[in-house]
Order: sequence, then C-alpha cells, then structure tokens
Amino acid sequence: MSFFKYKNYIYPLFVAVTSAIIIVFGLIEATYIRGLYFLAGVYVWLLIFGCWKTCLKTLPVLIIAGGIFYGIGYLASKNHDFALAMVTRFYAVIIAVIPGMSIEPTAITRNLSQLKVPRFVTLGVLIMYSFVPVLRAEIKRVREAMKTRGTGSILNPKIFYRAFLIPLVTRIVDISDILALSIETRGFTLGKTKYTVYKKEYINIFDVLFVLGIITGVVLTVVL
Amino acid sequence: MEEEKKDVKQNDIAELLIDNIKSIEEEQEAVAELAYIASVSENYNSANVKDATSGKVQGVHKNNRLFQKYKIKDMVFLAIITACTLVTGAVMPFVSGIQVFGIIQICLGLQFSILPVIGMMKVRKPGALLLQSIFISIFLSFMFPPMVSIILCALIAEVVALLIFRSYKNDWACVVAGTLYMPLTLPMLILLYNVFPSISKGKDAEQMFMVGSTNFGVAIGISVAVVAICFVGSVIGMVIMRELKKAGKLKE
Repeated sequence: MSFFKYKNYIYPLFVAVTSAIIIVFGLIEATYIRGLYFLAGVYVWLLIFGCWKTCLKTLPVLIIAGGIFYGIGYLASKNHDFALAMVTRFYAVIIAVIPGMSIEPTAITRNLSQLKVPRFVTLGVLIMYSFVPVLRAEIKRVREAMKTRGTGSILNPKIFYRAFLIPLVTRIVDISDILALSIETRGFTLGKTKYTVYKKEYINIFDVLFVLGIITGVVLTVVL
Repeated sequence: MEEEKKDVKQNDIAELLIDNIKSIEEEQEAVAELAYIASVSENYNSANVKDATSGKVQGVHKNNRLFQKYKIKDMVFLAIITACTLVTGAVMPFVSGIQVFGIIQICLGLQFSILPVIGMMKVRKPGALLLQSIFISIFLSFMFPPMVSIILCALIAEVVALLIFRSYKNDWACVVAGTLYMPLTLPMLILLYNVFPSISKGKDAEQMFMVGSTNFGVAIGISVAVVAICFVGSVIGMVIMRELKKAGKLKE
C-alpha cells in the first residue's frame, strides 16, 4: 500500500529527470513570457510536492537576484524583453536546483545502491554530501587561526595562499586519511560484495503525479 | 569534561594508529624499492631476495602499471576534494544567467583547476580526474544538467595528458589535465547556447542570448583567457602539493 502513502520528498531519480526538464525547457522558452509562466507553475507545483521549505528559502534569492539581473539586463540593452529573458534564464536554473536541494543525501545513496550503481559512486556521493558541513567548520577554524595569528586580510593573495590555502589543504588531507581508515574499519569494500539496502526507495503515486504535472506544464506551455 | 577527555584519547589513539600504518607502509616501500634495485642490478642473486621480497617486487611492478586499482583512501580523498570543488562552485547558478559567453568558466576556472590538480597529485592514477567529474556530475545533474558534459571533458583531458606523459608520475601531466579540464566545456556550451535560441526565436534571439557566442573573435579571446586562468590554477595546485610533499604531509 506504500504506493498510495503520502511522503514529503520526491523519488531521487525523478528529481534528476525533472531538473533536466525544467532547465532545458526554461532555457528554450526564456525569450517568451510563457517561459516565465511555466516556471511560476513549476514553483507552485514544487511547493505542493514536499519542496516547500527549499522553495521558501530560495524565494528571497529569486526576488533579490532576479531584480538585480533585470536591472543589469535593462541597463545593458534598454530592452524590456532582453532583461526579462535574462531573469527567466536565471529562474530556470534556480528552480531546477530546488528539487535537488530538497532530498536527503541518504535517500540518493539508497536509491543509487538499489539501482546497483557501483559502490565507489555511492560512497563518493555520501562523502561529498556529509563533508560539506565539515568543510565549513574547517574553514571557520582556519579563519580563526588566522585572526589569532594576526595575519592580516584574506584578500591579500600571499596571505590567502600561506595562511589559508595551505593549512586548509593540509587539514583536508588529514581528514581524508582518518575517514578512509574509519571506512575500512567498518568493513566497507569496493569489491563486488553483497550488501543489503534496509530502507528501500519506491516510486509512489505522488512521484508519478509530480512528473506528470511537469510534463503537462511543458505541453500546455507549447500548445497554449 | 569526561567526554572531552574521552574524545582526546580517541583522537590520540587514531593518530597513533595512522602513524603506525604510515611507518609500516614506508618500511614496506623501502624494502620493495631495495628488492627492485637488486632485481635490476648486475649482481642480482634471486635466491637472496626472492623469499623475503618477492611479493614486494610485484607490488613495485604493479605501481608501474598504467592502470592501477583504486583503494578506498583514494576514493575518499577524491570525493572530499570534489566536495570542496562543488562548494567553491556554488556561484555557478548565479553566473549562468549572465549573458556573456564563457562567464561560468572564467568564474570557476581557478577553483576547477586548483582542486582537481590537488586530487590528481595525491591519487596519481589514471581516471582520477574522471572520477572527480563523475562525483561532481551527480550533483550537477540535480542542479545544472548541461554541465554534466564535464565527464566527457575530463575523459578527453585525461587521454591527452596520458598520451603525452604516459602516467601521472610527472607533475606536469596533472597540470596539463587540469588546464584542459574546464576549457573543454566551452565547445559544449557553444553547442548548447546556439541550439536553444535557434529552437526558440531564430537568429535575432541567438544574438541576444549570448554576448560573444556568435562572434568568433570574442569567443576565441574568452577561450584563451579561460585557458590562462586554468593554467595558473593548475600551477598553484601543483605548488601547493609540492609544498605539502616537502613538509611530509603527503603520501602518494
């Protein structure tokens, strides 16, 4: 019965497909006003299908950056259509990113494992996702160390290289060594060993509806 | 306080374990090197070295192969360095809307050459750049799908570097691959940006769409600038890794 059960995220593979549809169609239709209508419809569709948090987070970016893009476009060309096309292209990229930002990294990893994607890919995806907050913390630490040492402005290339880049890369190398050791001690191998995915990702009626909605939007934009 | 002490203890133990493994690996490499020298010298007596070091000699020969097996630590480092590339490339969605040909490559050229070169110089195995591009393209497929073509660019860059240098043992092989990596996305984007406007509004839109993509001179100029930026980035990456190697922080 899980096919009809409500879930608050989209099937990971469908996310990639819909992102591609949104960006490609958004760029094709960027020079028409209907392209903007299509993207507005997609945005509402994403709000309904579990991406509302990311949608709300990106709303200020869409408004502020969209306004800046319009201003630059209009000043450069003195043409309203040109400026609007520029904004539509920007919106196409940002709105295509929203579904990808809304799904959990573990869901992507589980989905890839289920689809028998090589282990090195799933391992890489998981590490990449989980490493981003670690990297942020490391950057903060290096910056604090710079302040403590009184090195000066980070905008100075010499200081940036010597006091920021080198310590950061050194830390990254150290972390990767420890992480590799940790993964190996947990029995992870890259060979063709059997493994079990305990929480599988299944296609749900809401996933089908979501994709169908996007495709219908594309068709309606072209026809009407 | 107790938890902090526990953490410190665990960290100390982990560091000791890593040091221990490193020293064992260094010893093994030294033995293997000696055995290899012995095996190629005139006074080579197989009986003396065969029993103790036959496995190690094989190990050295394995390292000399063009295609080597990837270890978990290689994958982990490549994934981590790709995460850094992805974070520094977060500006991509913003610049992709600006109508100047090659603006993405100009903005991302430096970080997309420094970090891949660091990855290649740590994991000196063919396919290191390709793996990085596969990892990053999984995320880009969710964010900016046209940039998935970066896999093809990595493949071409690697093939060119390996045809010239045969392996990544030479630092400049990594620099060549790193320099070619990002600029190779330019032809892909020319195709992309010239196909979309022709679908939608014809020639007028094509000229509107991208400043420079239809002007051959501007396109060449921007391409040269991108190559120059990527070359500088690759050299910076090489210098960083050489410095880490000198400091004893790097074990290939």
